Amino acid sequence: MRKALFFLPLALLAGTASAQFRVPLLAPRQPPAPVLTGIDALRADFQAKSGTDTVYFGADNAQLGPPARAVLHAQALWLLQHPEVVVRIEGHGEVADTRDHALAMGAKRAEEVRTALVLMGVPAAQLTTMSWGKERPGAPRAVTVLVR
Amino acid sequence: MTQLVVRISLGIAGLLLSAAASAAQPGTPAATVIAIPPITTPDTGVKGNEMLGLGWQATQLIAADLRQTSEMMPLPPNRKDYYSYPEVTAPTFSKWRAAGAKALVTGFVQSRSDGRLTFGCYVYDVEKGRELGRKGFIVGGGDDWRRAAHKCSGLAYTAITGAPSMFDTRITYVAESGSPDARVKRIAVMDSDGYNHSYLTAGDTIVLTPRMSPKGGRLAYVGFTGGKPEVRIVDLASSQQRPLLDGDSISFAPRYSPDGTRIVFSMMLGANSDIYVAPATGGIPQRLTTSPGIDTDPSFSPDGSKIVFESDRGGSQQLYVMNSDGSNQRRISFGGAWYASPDWSPDGEWIAFTQRTTAGRRIGIIKPDGTDEKILTSGPADEGPSWAASSRELIFQRGAGNGSALFRLSLDGSEPRQMSIPQGGSDPDWSGLMD
Repeated sequence: MRKALFFLPLALLAGTASAQFRVPLLAPRQPPAPVLTGIDALRADFQAKSGTDTVYFGADNAQLGPPARAVLHAQALWLLQHPEVVVRIEGHGEVADTRDHALAMGAKRAEEVRTALVLMGVPAAQLTTMSWGKERPGAPRAVTVLVR
Repeated sequence: MTQLVVRISLGIAGLLLSAAASAAQPGTPAATVIAIPPITTPDTGVKGNEMLGLGWQATQLIAADLRQTSEMMPLPPNRKDYYSYPEVTAPTFSKWRAAGAKALVTGFVQSRSDGRLTFGCYVYDVEKGRELGRKGFIVGGGDDWRRAAHKCSGLAYTAITGAPSMFDTRITYVAESGSPDARVKRIAVMDSDGYNHSYLTAGDTIVLTPRMSPKGGRLAYVGFTGGKPEVRIVDLASSQQRPLLDGDSISFAPRYSPDGTRIVFSMMLGANSDIYVAPATGGIPQRLTTSPGIDTDPSFSPDGSKIVFESDRGGSQQLYVMNSDGSNQRRISFGGAWYASPDWSPDGEWIAFTQRTTAGRRIGIIKPDGTDEKILTSGPADEGPSWAASSRELIFQRGAGNGSALFRLSLDGSEPRQMSIPQGGSDPDWSGLMD
């Protein structure tokens, strides 16, 4: 649970931060960070470093465009630094699609993201996929969710 | 409602389908006018009154059943048309001829010493003064008389149209409530007239596409219990549930084979969705398609020899037919739109589908050889057709606002009718005959 200490300024001020802390020692004048622990702290850090947990697709396809690849590159860097973290990539279909094709399209989008992350060097063991089909309305997308 | 209706013999029980065919006059759009005077009883005294009351309820239910069809036009039942028990088998045809009826339903309800009821049902061709069919049932207490009445409606419908009836059938669907972002979805089951409505799942996890086994004892559906969509089986009597497959693959779009022994479904392997078939009791799935792309929504032909499915292997969603071992895959839809969620009709004649265009989703039908495509609804958010046992009607979901509702659609070109259900509904599946 050492990640729980990320946002505890006390640990930093006391000078007890050892080499295993990956968070740089920042200026002490920051506003007080929200008290996040465990997976919540990791999720916040993942969001901050990757820019977003979500990549978007065009209608009725599962192809990753350059903006999506840039996001995934940042996600891959973070995941490489956190080899103990496992993520679930959740693919979404579109509401205008039929039920089962949307399920398959969501799964396909999640799989495209997984493949891209693996090609960027992330160990496959860190990555799982699932599909929401059209059960969570919104733009065609895949969301990388930290599981543990 | 279980194994309560026991068929008993009422002597000669021949359905004279040749007479039925002449009564139906194929090709004429006019509905057959049918008289349904109040069902009588041989019982007397207090018991007799009780049976007459029950008979009157059954009479009204039969009229309501037949009124839902496009082929039959029941005269409104009238208590003044009371007839005696002997007249059940010797009706006064001249009276019904004068009333304009072409067909007549008579019947009786009789109490038994064991507390159950005997229910007799007779159908006549009024013009020829001839019996078209008869059936008898022994039913238990409570609402069991409803099933007997539905079967009586079915006897009349089949005798006159020649098509299987759908009154004694069930419908399963996904009941929906809550906000669009956090929909609560529960599997619901009901009689085809909306009666006997019950929920099978608690709504704590997303459920999709319930599909009834041919005899109605089990459901295959897609549940998110394990954190991803997977095909699961629920036994209706015990409510026990289990995944169809071992392992943690994403699997969906299940449908039973006509004999109930196999389940055909899709499963993801990487970014590829293919069609597989597995024993309905679980076991090793056999892969039927291998093309890259999304193959899904398989549906057996009624003889079990073929499977229709959708595939985007050619760049857009289209309908394909293959043999049930996966051989001889060929495209059948060429209408210039996208086609999805096919369902093969119980009589084998038609395949219902969802058509996707930029204008939305609509329901249509096409012959299994790809000819005679017809679009039956106007959309813009119609989806997931399922055939009635008669092959003359469909049920589908229609989106409106944030939710969706269930609609019945007759092939005669009339407007779809919304079904009365407690909440929103999606993914309907109409069973075959229950026995």
